[in-house]
Amino acid sequence: MLQAHSLLWHYLWVAPNLFLLLLGLLLWRRGLNQRYPVFFAFAILGATEQLVVYATDVVPSVTPGTWWLIFWTGLLVEGLLKFALVGEIFARIFDPYPSVAKVGKFMIRGVGVVLVLAAGLAAACTPKDGLFGIVSGAHILEQTIYLIEAGLLAFIFVVSSYFRLTLDRPLFGVALGLSISACVHLATWAVMANGGLPEKRHLLDLLNMATYHACVLIWFYYLLIPSKVAATPAVPLPENNLEVWNRELERLVQP
Amino acid sequence: MTLAIILVVAAALALIFILGVAVSRSLQVTAGSGLAEQIQPIDVEAFRNLVDPAEDEYLRRRLPAAEFRLVQRERLRATALYVQAAGRNAAVLVRMGQAALTAGNPDTAEAARRLVDNALLLRRNATFALLRIYFALAWPNSGWAAAPILRGYEQLNGSAMLLGRLQNPAAPVRISAML
Repeated sequence: MLQAHSLLWHYLWVAPNLFLLLLGLLLWRRGLNQRYPVFFAFAILGATEQLVVYATDVVPSVTPGTWWLIFWTGLLVEGLLKFALVGEIFARIFDPYPSVAKVGKFMIRGVGVVLVLAAGLAAACTPKDGLFGIVSGAHILEQTIYLIEAGLLAFIFVVSSYFRLTLDRPLFGVALGLSISACVHLATWAVMANGGLPEKRHLLDLLNMATYHACVLIWFYYLLIPSKVAATPAVPLPENNLEVWNRELERLVQP
Repeated sequence: MTLAIILVVAAALALIFILGVAVSRSLQVTAGSGLAEQIQPIDVEAFRNLVDPAEDEYLRRRLPAAEFRLVQRERLRATALYVQAAGRNAAVLVRMGQAALTAGNPDTAEAARRLVDNALLLRRNATFALLRIYFALAWPNSGWAAAPILRGYEQLNGSAMLLGRLQNPAAPVRISAML
């Protein structure tokens, strides 16, 4: 059951990607692809890429060397898509507010540089396999991508939490799913890349796949199921309250 | 394996934090009312007096250096409390503004967006001002620390006055509802 190429293993690799493709199609049908273009691209391209990697894994005619090349290519494409998605999340949270957009961009660039350096240092400290460099290299690349991705997402959550900025429901779902996936994958790939649990690697693979499946379901929930709108009781309003409020805001802009 | 352990711990901490934010977000959605009551009144005149460089100069001339440092630290601590209160008020205003952002009326939504933007500016300025205050706390004699605080205060002033006018906790509720 918990072995590679078991029924569960096949399901966990294929099903979340089929669900993600379906989610992409549903977003397109509802016109949400224009609202979340990078997530839409991620859903379609990321799922297709994973399905291609799966297909080449199960087709016997594909040699291991070719498979790892396909895996590497997919990994790079997926990494770029994920960073673009992180950028989309950040822009949608901060761009509407000029007062924090500039400082936010400055800070996330700084954090990005620090994370790239940290990931580079971690990669340099990770043991390399001279015989199967393409394999250990892929593990290190996974660790590098997830370290940067998880760091950037954690930073976005920290800053938005500090400023009490609430993400809209779909965007929050995207960010939450991506963050859970990034954190779990960072942990598992760090263990694998550093030679940990050599006898239990299939369990780490299954954990990765199960986590990704859960994240796809989170995206389904937050993107397709509308939130419950709480009815707010009407409050009798005195006149000119809004004008006073707006006048004070003008004083804020031009003190 | 040390590196793997460090990364696993870092990933676990990040995940716990993110899940914590997710849980607090759902709690905020369910307990969104009563925000206005969280706004603290701010005595702007007292704040202005605390950051007045003429007061600083007067105290510097009148008091011995050691005593001046003590008094100045007390004044800076008091200033920090005011700025912290302004920052907390700004956070409440952000939430109130965001609650009104989904209003159907475009004018209302725009006013709410401006409210959020200004409250964010106040929170950002409060953060920078606090950093300067803490720096000045460490070196109360450093002349350069006072001027940036005052400049930060000038930026804060408009926002602080706005918050001062929100001393009546019922007013923001009405405004929020109207938005």
